Amino acid sequence: MVFTIPKEGTTQWLEKLLEAGEVIAPVRGPCGDVIFSALRSPTQVLWDFENPLHPPKQFVLPQTDPLVKIKLNGQRHEVEPIHDDAPRTLFNVRSCDVKGIAFLTRMHEADPPDASYLRRARNLTIISLACTTPCPAGFCVCTDSGPFLSAGYDLQLTDLGGSFFAEVGSEKGEAAMAKAPELFRKAREDEVTDRTALEAVAKTRFGPETCHFGSAMRRISTGRVQDALWEKMGDWCLECGGCNMVCPTCYCFSVKDLRQNGAWVRCRMWDSCQYNAFALEASGHNPRAHRKERMKRRFFHKASAQYYTRDSMVGCVGCGRCIKTCLGSTHMPAVVAAIRKGKWHE
Amino acid sequence: MLPVPTTCPFCACGCGFYLLANQGGLVGVAPSETHPVSLGRLCARGWSAHEAALWGNRLRQPLVNRNGKVESASWNEAFDHVAGRIKELIAAGKPVGVLGSARATNEENYLVGKLARAGFQTNNLDFCYRSICAPLLAGLEDVCGEYTPSVSLNDIESSQTILLIEGDLATSHPRAASAVMAAVEKGAHLVTIAHTKTQMSRLGSILLPAKPGNEGEVIDGLLAAVLDLGPEDRAAVEARCEGYDALREGLKSVKITAEMRQAAECIVRATRATFLIPPVSGEGPPSRREAAALATLAAVTGHLGRLGSGLLPLLARNNVRGACDMGIAPDRLPGYRPLDDKETQQRLQDLWGKKLPSAPGLDAESILQSVNGLIVLADNPPAVLPMGQRAMAALGKIEFVVALEAFLTPTAQIAQVVLPIASFAETEGTITSMEGRVQKLRVATGPPGEARPGWQVLAELCARFEVGASYSSASDVLLEVGQGSPEYASVRELEDGWGGVGVTRGPNGGKFRLGVAKVPPLTPAEGAYVLVRDGGYDWGRDPLISFSPTLSRDYQSQRKLFPNGFVEMCKQDADVIGVHPGRPVKLTSAQGNAVIPTRVRTDLTPGVLLVPYAFRDHLASVLGTHSATAVKVEQA
Amino acid sequence: MNDVFLPEIACIEKVRDETPDTKTFTLRFRDHQNGNHFHFLPGQFLELSVFGCGEAPFCIASSPTRPGVLETTVRHTGQLTDQLRKLGNGDEVGIRGPFGNGFDVQAARGKDMLFVAGGIGLPPLRSLIWNVLDERDRFGKVTILYGARTPHDLVYKDELEVWGKRSDVELLVTVDVAEHDWTGNVGVVPILFQKVTLHPESTLAYVCGPPIMIRFVVRDLLKRGFKEESVISTLERMMQCGIGKCNHCAIGHRYVCRDGPVFDYRQIAELVE
Repeated sequence: MVFTIPKEGTTQWLEKLLEAGEVIAPVRGPCGDVIFSALRSPTQVLWDFENPLHPPKQFVLPQTDPLVKIKLNGQRHEVEPIHDDAPRTLFNVRSCDVKGIAFLTRMHEADPPDASYLRRARNLTIISLACTTPCPAGFCVCTDSGPFLSAGYDLQLTDLGGSFFAEVGSEKGEAAMAKAPELFRKAREDEVTDRTALEAVAKTRFGPETCHFGSAMRRISTGRVQDALWEKMGDWCLECGGCNMVCPTCYCFSVKDLRQNGAWVRCRMWDSCQYNAFALEASGHNPRAHRKERMKRRFFHKASAQYYTRDSMVGCVGCGRCIKTCLGSTHMPAVVAAIRKGKWHE
Repeated sequence: MLPVPTTCPFCACGCGFYLLANQGGLVGVAPSETHPVSLGRLCARGWSAHEAALWGNRLRQPLVNRNGKVESASWNEAFDHVAGRIKELIAAGKPVGVLGSARATNEENYLVGKLARAGFQTNNLDFCYRSICAPLLAGLEDVCGEYTPSVSLNDIESSQTILLIEGDLATSHPRAASAVMAAVEKGAHLVTIAHTKTQMSRLGSILLPAKPGNEGEVIDGLLAAVLDLGPEDRAAVEARCEGYDALREGLKSVKITAEMRQAAECIVRATRATFLIPPVSGEGPPSRREAAALATLAAVTGHLGRLGSGLLPLLARNNVRGACDMGIAPDRLPGYRPLDDKETQQRLQDLWGKKLPSAPGLDAESILQSVNGLIVLADNPPAVLPMGQRAMAALGKIEFVVALEAFLTPTAQIAQVVLPIASFAETEGTITSMEGRVQKLRVATGPPGEARPGWQVLAELCARFEVGASYSSASDVLLEVGQGSPEYASVRELEDGWGGVGVTRGPNGGKFRLGVAKVPPLTPAEGAYVLVRDGGYDWGRDPLISFSPTLSRDYQSQRKLFPNGFVEMCKQDADVIGVHPGRPVKLTSAQGNAVIPTRVRTDLTPGVLLVPYAFRDHLASVLGTHSATAVKVEQA
Repeated sequence: MNDVFLPEIACIEKVRDETPDTKTFTLRFRDHQNGNHFHFLPGQFLELSVFGCGEAPFCIASSPTRPGVLETTVRHTGQLTDQLRKLGNGDEVGIRGPFGNGFDVQAARGKDMLFVAGGIGLPPLRSLIWNVLDERDRFGKVTILYGARTPHDLVYKDELEVWGKRSDVELLVTVDVAEHDWTGNVGVVPILFQKVTLHPESTLAYVCGPPIMIRFVVRDLLKRGFKEESVISTLERMMQCGIGKCNHCAIGHRYVCRDGPVFDYRQIAELVE
């Protein structure tokens, strides 16, 4: 089902969406950065922007995520799960981020399903804005996560010039349109043609960061990456963990109890497999004591065929964020290129 | 809630990020692409910067120790008590002292300095980390005079040659290491002077091995190599430097290796060269001469005073530079001016309405061992000072200790009065990075309980000593800072957003005074080894790390596995001594002896034993007051 | 949809000192006294909460043939166990679980059972040992080989006596270093192999203990003709969630908390770090 909404109508539509709950969209932040933020007004929404560096996974998996409240009633402990049922809409997210959230949902649905995550995910409506002009750092074509998607969104918008093309992907998408039905009309055939053409053109416009993901996947999965290569690359990593923090598909975490207002709150918090202590056991034994082992772990998780087979999804969405945030120079495209060539910096 | 832009509270690189918070408190950190230093990146500490404030053991109430019992008090009671006791001590002629902090804001340091000098009328004012970095700063000053040489991280990235005296840059200053990596990727020559093969030294093209504490020998070698390179434009050098002949004379018998020649060429040929130097592990005067020698190397090769080139002292903590600029030293005034600088004295006396004490005061270690009353701002001396646990014993003997602190540190635990202050995430203020960039901290969430911003608490204390002023915000304090030190005058115009202002003092027209390191090598007696204290900062005991669940893991694990510390040696030495890794050795020096477990490293030079700064207490009896000493080593 | 991080409250019913640094806790669910809702297999583990501190994984040392109470044997290693060992009777803890794959008890029926344990490696096997002994006629020969550094370091000292006295169990115990009145075997666990007759074709071997012991024992067993699938062990890793989500225990694409902790040697050989 495909529709269009004139650009002048979006403000009204957003107002209706805001009435129903939080609407999170890319806005210009306090110091000029584009950030995802809960809207105070529809006019804040950016329509022409570079994808925020901080990914929208924070709205389904906050960096500090309270899970269970533990109270002491005399000598008796009482525990209760912390529920976040707030309805939210993610607006103007890009295809890569749609795929990212779909990946996270798949992980948290897998046996046993995690109610804390799923409550948020199921109350989240994802309205995406397809990329008619790919971003400079992105390589979503290589990871089957853009520039346009055929599924995974609740509603996918495409900029046709004077209006937005809207593709319904789910009931939630329908419901989002139904907030302001008078603003939408069925798309005409020429509009459908335009939309198709825009996707075809977008696919041809990728920049130098396009990377040969498939080839890296094969080598990583068949153990054909030399230990010496990981060692060399390891020297160019500064273990900041930034890649994990900004990656839309990373979700590693640690759990700890936080003292708050006389009670305890068990929280999940973001962690990074690049940190030395990530796999460190209480005995002091560390199965990944060397940086090369941790790097190998990260790229195995992102790119191996075994994970791909197990989860039916690619662990990387080609958003390019790791390129921007890497404190060293070991981001995805660089590593993939090195794996393909069998050499680093030569 | 909107993300709150703020400056990183850890090392001195001066990165920035957004703190994320909701009604429940801090939630996390978001990066900023527009921040001029961070450019979208952060190190592991930055990504977890919110943790300590959220998870840490926070001080929430003023606490007063009355007759051995610690009780909570109201702010008024606490202020009254502090003012009353300190005034008593001063009236009785008993010495009092004040410790500022390398992790407090400029406003906090400024006010604590004002409290000491104008309020208590004492120059017993210092900050713990200065014990480590003072020789380095003094050495640079010896050569450069009033000029504060500094280099930006961008300059490092665009250098053709980088000379790094390597401690462990990847851990101490990851953002600087990032700049070095970027430069090397672009083809820069990285010359490292190092005693171990760290990550940075592996990335470099020329490694100049140096015994720890003896880097001066290599620097002198480089100087000699530079002079040896051929006919130089002597006139040009003498135009900007003095002492050239003495320099040549001093370098006459210095040994030059092939690598030194290579490195010297790289430095001389570079249009832009940057020199990175941490406080080196060494004794005061040799350490000072070493820093002077490095500045000399930069000077004779034309890289001092040249745009894009220069020296960057790698200060460990985020506001070391600011603490110095606020005059937190027994012999310095705000602006880091000498105590007897008439112009500054007058300016401050006019500003504060009080005469300044003229006699130089005691340094941090001496303060701890001599005073009857002590104010400690946001610091834990036993964790920072070289004297380690002896500082704890000294603190225990001081009859009245007041701790202004956000976290329950050992110092806060034994203080007679605790004044709870806000953490970096809960206060307004400025900090000055090692680049000389002054940036803002902003409030992302409220402090817990009744804790208050440090500047407010200090303002009230100043008022109790009749040197108060009316400050309605941290900016008002900053305004006054600018009136006291002209370099900070323009800082009050920090706009919203990432605006940061540089406070580098330009060259004063004077010439660079050249000098050599001439470090007498610590030649151990026959059969003896050299034990060196490695590194200058114990991050594991910094509350921003120790109270962060994510960041404290490595340090805690190491301390648990090695409750008695360890000393590191190379395999060759271990074999000769006949000790297996993990087994203990007995070290004997002129100062004393101790038994300690060993660890073996493959990248250490024979004859050298390293004890990490974090474990110096276990070898206090062997090291004494030295940072390096000859030792005899035997199986325990 | 499960609140998978929500623990259930249990009370400590009994604490027994096994060695100077090891205790066995007997736990009973506070709100489900008979524990009938908690079905587990030997070899599975639970996530134990010490409220205000955190959670850590511990293997279930009691057998599912004896529901009602849960037992876990804990060695003092870190922050959480530091707090745990201060707790006593009546104190409350939290339990999540059971987690992990557990031993395949069904597949072991009719087989001869060889248990080889070192030091703190016995607790993971104890659950299966008691399960086997409680259903004794379903299994063939039962041989238990156990060793520790010194006699003081032996866990379950009373039970060792009970097992030793049984005519349908062959128990051999050894210590690395004898003390005073020790009259038993002295030497590392592999020396006990010389004292027993093993039938590799019909035996499943369960091996648990320090990595170096496991290495030598497994090498020995394979030399004696055991197939890799018949040599079974439990792997240890840093764990947090226990449900295959936090990724701390991942080895390749396997999770020790979900695909393990029980693995046979063929599976272990396939695990790629």
